[in-house]
Amino acid sequence: MDTLLLARLQFATTASVHFLFVAVTLGLVTLLVGMQTAWVVTGNHRWERLTRFWGQLYVINYVLGIATGVVMEFQFGLNWSGLSRYVGNVFGAPLAIETLVAFFLESTFLGMWIFGWHRLRRGAHLALLYGVAITAYASAFWIMVANSWLQNPVGYEVRDGVAHLTDFAALLTNPALWMALGHVVSAALLTGGLLMAAISAWHLNRRTPDLALFRSSLRIGLVTAALAITLVQGFGFAQFGPVGGVQPTKFGGDSPQAEVLIADWTSRFGPGDYLPPALSNVGLGFMILIGFALGLLWLLVPLLWRDWIIRLRFPLWLLMLALPLPFVALILGWIAREVGRHPWVAYGLLPVDQAVSPISPWLMAASLVGFTLLLGTLAVTNWMLLARYAARGAADPALGRPPAQPPADDPRPEPAFA
Amino acid sequence: MELAWYALLGLFFAGYLVLGGYDYGVGLLLARGADAPRRRAALNAVGPFFLGNEVWLVAAAGILFGAFPVLEGELLAGSYPAVAAALAGVILVTAGVQLRSRPDSARARAAWDRVIVVGSLLAALGWGVVLAGLLQGVPLRADGHVAGVTHLFTPFAAATGLAVLALVVAHGATFLTLQLPTVEGDRLRPLARRLLLTAIVAVGAATVAGLLSDRVRAAAQRPAVGVLLAVLLVTALLAARAALGRRRPGLAFAATATALALPVLLIGATLWPYALVSTVEPSASLTVTDAAASGPTLRLLGWLTVPLLPALLGFQAMCLWIFRGRADGRAPVYW
Ligand code: HDD
Ligand code: HEM
Ligand code: HEM
Repeated sequence: MDTLLLARLQFATTASVHFLFVAVTLGLVTLLVGMQTAWVVTGNHRWERLTRFWGQLYVINYVLGIATGVVMEFQFGLNWSGLSRYVGNVFGAPLAIETLVAFFLESTFLGMWIFGWHRLRRGAHLALLYGVAITAYASAFWIMVANSWLQNPVGYEVRDGVAHLTDFAALLTNPALWMALGHVVSAALLTGGLLMAAISAWHLNRRTPDLALFRSSLRIGLVTAALAITLVQGFGFAQFGPVGGVQPTKFGGDSPQAEVLIADWTSRFGPGDYLPPALSNVGLGFMILIGFALGLLWLLVPLLWRDWIIRLRFPLWLLMLALPLPFVALILGWIAREVGRHPWVAYGLLPVDQAVSPISPWLMAASLVGFTLLLGTLAVTNWMLLARYAARGAADPALGRPPAQPPADDPRPEPAFA
Repeated sequence: MELAWYALLGLFFAGYLVLGGYDYGVGLLLARGADAPRRRAALNAVGPFFLGNEVWLVAAAGILFGAFPVLEGELLAGSYPAVAAALAGVILVTAGVQLRSRPDSARARAAWDRVIVVGSLLAALGWGVVLAGLLQGVPLRADGHVAGVTHLFTPFAAATGLAVLALVVAHGATFLTLQLPTVEGDRLRPLARRLLLTAIVAVGAATVAGLLSDRVRAAAQRPAVGVLLAVLLVTALLAARAALGRRRPGLAFAATATALALPVLLIGATLWPYALVSTVEPSASLTVTDAAASGPTLRLLGWLTVPLLPALLGFQAMCLWIFRGRADGRAPVYW
């Protein structure tokens, strides 16, 4: 067994599960901000119910975002101690900023938001959700700064074999950063929007009594998803230029720049295979196909007129069937980006085999199996709970239930403090 | 500047032990077999603070990576099994507390409660062993890497793990006497006092194990400070017990909180100027300065994060203020 391979596999699995959840987090929180703002501004009860129902799903989904995120954060030190040693001076900075500037506040605000219903003034309660959303975007930003630095190391200087930070601004103007950030954020919005549309479609298809409610969220979700897919396509194609520029070996290595680069690496790091596995680009092709397929969401938008989308029914089925697509595309896109920088952890600077911790393959294998089983089980349980709550409808979500009201789902109502 | 960052790292990790500590303590107390409403009430007493407590760990790890990258790599990889166990525990508690009330069936809820108990156990033992690992040194080789994992399995590490476990349970019980409605809180007082006694014994045992261990004696640069802080720890626990006896749960909680923060100070001060001591190659030991990131990185982090610290701590304080007082049913029951 090979410690390096196992460590890579572990990162790939945890990161993929993490992203499946945080993409939904980022997408839903944006929509929730809109809904709760509408509630506070108009005072309309329907917006409150929408906020509680979608907020409940958001909060359940959030749990696994945290659980997987914590494992990712510690994995750098556990499995990739060479990364900390050689490039930690530069790469660690955006991660530290992320945890202090974003996560710390995000979690604090979210706890207050969950328990603040009926206790805080409406405006203050809404402000907390804005806080959660802003910090969620901040965390996406800083993690992408860190990731883009691995894709294209800039603003550093190597002394005694260790990279030192020389120019932080260069990290923020990294050509690998901005188009990718736009692409990731719009992909998250697409995912959140489509999730909302598909769950609403399921209820509408079953002729729910809550027609007005799910009609609203269907419209919001579909329009968001349609706008977002256009952004996804735009930022996606816009990535080829900058990424191909800084990583000539990524999308196939037969260009003259790639040959020059590989010759240079061979002279500095010795001969080796400096091209990423072909597999990564296959995934890229599939993702683009999915991207085009989801572009057809625009065809459904006119059907919102006079509720044809609900009356015809088959568009509802289309939405439900499309739901897995963005999730598949998310994983494929990341595999393309991450596997595509191989054999480097930091492109052209630090090869993966120098970054991995020198620990025994058995320990690494135990860790891989253990955490994969743990997070896998939790992820499946979480999705089952999400599905159950989504199906239960908006009659009485636990989130924001007035303290005096006994839970309707409980035959023996539990007094809070017996 | 390294010292300031080292202190900040200590602040965040100690904050995590204090705040996450009572989460895990409350979690472990679910194993007492109280009825369902009581278990739910205990978790909701942690309620609004839970998410904000755990994130101190995330922040501590962020500072460790940003400001002490070399320490991060060697400490975590060098204490692999303990860190992995603690991490698994943290995850189980996070998921368990937040999801346990989502299913309706009493059986599913009871099963999740067991998940929380196991998670709290792993987290307390795991972090305890990591702390012990710092005090007894790691086999850091001249090439800068730590070899092997068996160095973790010593009587001192086991005693420290158990001591942290006992501390956490006693802290959790004290928290509940403070936070639950008065009647319930009073019912828990005798238990909390017994648990504090256990914690005193456990801390004493760990101190003796440490004094007997050659590795700890070799690693400690200032053994006297270490012993002094261990004495302080026991004093804090005695104070907490006395305060509970006089029905001063607030004071008792302040004392147990001090007791959970003290180990971090103890380790930092006993090892100084080292951050990680090598048991095999004295010259490979990492001083705090060696372990720190270089000047420009620390300056950048200083400019970007230090001005924000008042806001970070301020919002946490706001959370404490808004939800202050005994859990009285004015906030929704959610966990
Ligand atoms: C809903 C998900 C989704 C969809 C429908 C698409 N993408 Fe994507 N794509 C991602 C989600 C994603 C992602 C998971 O968010 C990635 C991984 C890293 C990143 O920056 O975004 C990504 C990466 C990624 C990359 C790799 C960047 C790199 O290697 O650094 C390229 C070139 C594209 N995308 C291009 C496209 C194009 C041209 C699309 C369709 C027309 C498209 N993507 C649809
Ligand atoms: C959440 C979305 C992400 C996904 C799905 C993802 C996916 C992957 C995959 C598939 C690998 C394994 C590649 C291989 O070795 O074949 C990997 C490795 C890695 N990724 Fe990511 N990644 C994500 C985000 C990030 C970010 C934001 C960072 C940096 C901040 C990062 C840093 C790394 C590192 C250090 C490795 C290990 C070294 C390597 O194998 O190249 N990843 N990731
Ligand atoms: C190697 C890469 C990554 C690491 C180490 C990491 C780390 C973490 C951690 C520790 C948390 C939990 C924070 C808490 O306790 O509240 C978290 C949550 C989050 N992450 Fe990541 N993350 C990574 C990749 C990403 C990527 C690529 C994105 C999006 C672009 C992202 C977006 C988020 C968001 C929005 C949250 C908060 C919401 C939630 O927990 O569901 N992360 N991450």
